[in-house]
Amino acid sequence: MSAAPITTVKTVVETIEDSGAGVKLFSLVDPDHWELPPFRPGAHIDLHLPGGLVRTYSLCNDPADDCRYLVAVKREGCGRGGSVKLHDEIRVGDSIGVSLPRGGLDLPDDIERFIFVAGGIGVTPFLSAAAFLKRTGRADFALHVLSRGEPPLRRLLAPLAASGHLVLHDTAARARPELAKIIGRQQCHIGLGCCGPESMIDDFEHAAGDWPAGRIHIERFVPPPLPVDPNAKPYTLVLARSRLETRVAPGQTMLSAIQSLNVDIPASCCGGICGSCKVNWLEGAPVHRDRVLSPAERARSLMVCVAGSADDRLVLDL
Amino acid sequence: MLDTVQQPTTSSHESVVPSWTGVVRHLHLTPRAFLPMRSMPEIVLIAGKGIEGDRYMIGREQGFYSHKPEEGRQVTLFEDETLVALKRDHNIDLGPEEHRRNVTVAGVPLTHLVGRRFWLGETLLEATRLSIPCRHIEEITGKAIFDPLINRSGLNCRILQGGIVRVGDAVRNDA
Ligand code: FES
Repeated sequence: MSAAPITTVKTVVETIEDSGAGVKLFSLVDPDHWELPPFRPGAHIDLHLPGGLVRTYSLCNDPADDCRYLVAVKREGCGRGGSVKLHDEIRVGDSIGVSLPRGGLDLPDDIERFIFVAGGIGVTPFLSAAAFLKRTGRADFALHVLSRGEPPLRRLLAPLAASGHLVLHDTAARARPELAKIIGRQQCHIGLGCCGPESMIDDFEHAAGDWPAGRIHIERFVPPPLPVDPNAKPYTLVLARSRLETRVAPGQTMLSAIQSLNVDIPASCCGGICGSCKVNWLEGAPVHRDRVLSPAERARSLMVCVAGSADDRLVLDL
Repeated sequence: MLDTVQQPTTSSHESVVPSWTGVVRHLHLTPRAFLPMRSMPEIVLIAGKGIEGDRYMIGREQGFYSHKPEEGRQVTLFEDETLVALKRDHNIDLGPEEHRRNVTVAGVPLTHLVGRRFWLGETLLEATRLSIPCRHIEEITGKAIFDPLINRSGLNCRILQGGIVRVGDAVRNDA
């Protein structure tokens, strides 16, 4: 009998490939090469690393490639420690628990052309989307990759270069291209995607200011800082299934209030972008501050790392 | 004037269980929690243990609920008719690989069978309890099926006599 509930998908590291520009490519598979839970193009998964670290990465393979999860990890020496652990400690054959895939790009059929703009390692979700689009015969897309010098993941980019889908912008050799020029003027049959560092995303959002939200997909590396709410009030948080409740102090996160009740809850980005801390709510008036849930999803769920409560009482299905 | 309807002459429990013969439509298993169920042409049932290669086989314990061991959960069944009803009543397309039970049967009144024995192909099963839906299945399928599956989420069984079960096998009451 297993002592504890199984909460992650068990994978083993099948290969680790040095992919240039400080990036390693990890292929994760089921121990018996069984199919893994399905995912949408560019979805992300949490890796549960030794020492309790949980880190979120985009999948870069085609969803039809259903027996592995391919994640590209850039070593960030000054980061929070996840990438260093993956680069320096994880070996072929190691076990890694992963979450079910979440999110990904919406690539609706009524969009005929896609323009993707990626900064460096931000190319990963678009590699998955590009493989999906090519396989399904929707080949009208352009992938712009901005990088200082050699871009990462050359091997995965090569087929896209050969098929004329890839446009490389070496920002060490030339000035950063104007994103407004890359995007062009708004047309309803075109969809946009952007993933990269915060400054690039700001520029992109500015350049695409007049595009409808439903035609734009943005992926962030780091959560934007939460604005401090000077009017925040305390409220009572009720966990219906655990039959527990606590008072959440102004400025305290719902996540830390839940953790103080010793209720285990997965969390990764702690900034409302990765989706790992999603919980359904039952009563009250949540204040959502995440960047991932749609209005329809918010009617049912919230992200406890960033959400608050407008009422004095909020009940969660937890 | 209406014709008088003939009432049953006995009120015993046995007499109101409908007579039936069903068929195995689909067989599925998976070795570990969260992984997709794989369609199989046949599965091997081991008496007192479970299905060879499945996550809930006693001794394997790789299922989402394996930390709550249950001797009566050696094989699980699901009604094909429920998949039809989900589509008809809720416009939900749920495939036989998505409900996460092992055996999809047609023409078998699963809810009547708790506490009874019946034949699944050459194997003899004893129904232990009705399955209950879980939120886990919504997480895996991404479909809002928890509520529609209440009271028709399948049947848990113990294997009294093992053997090979194939798609197309008959399902019969143990007379
Ligand atoms: S932990 Fe990432 S959304 Fe809450």
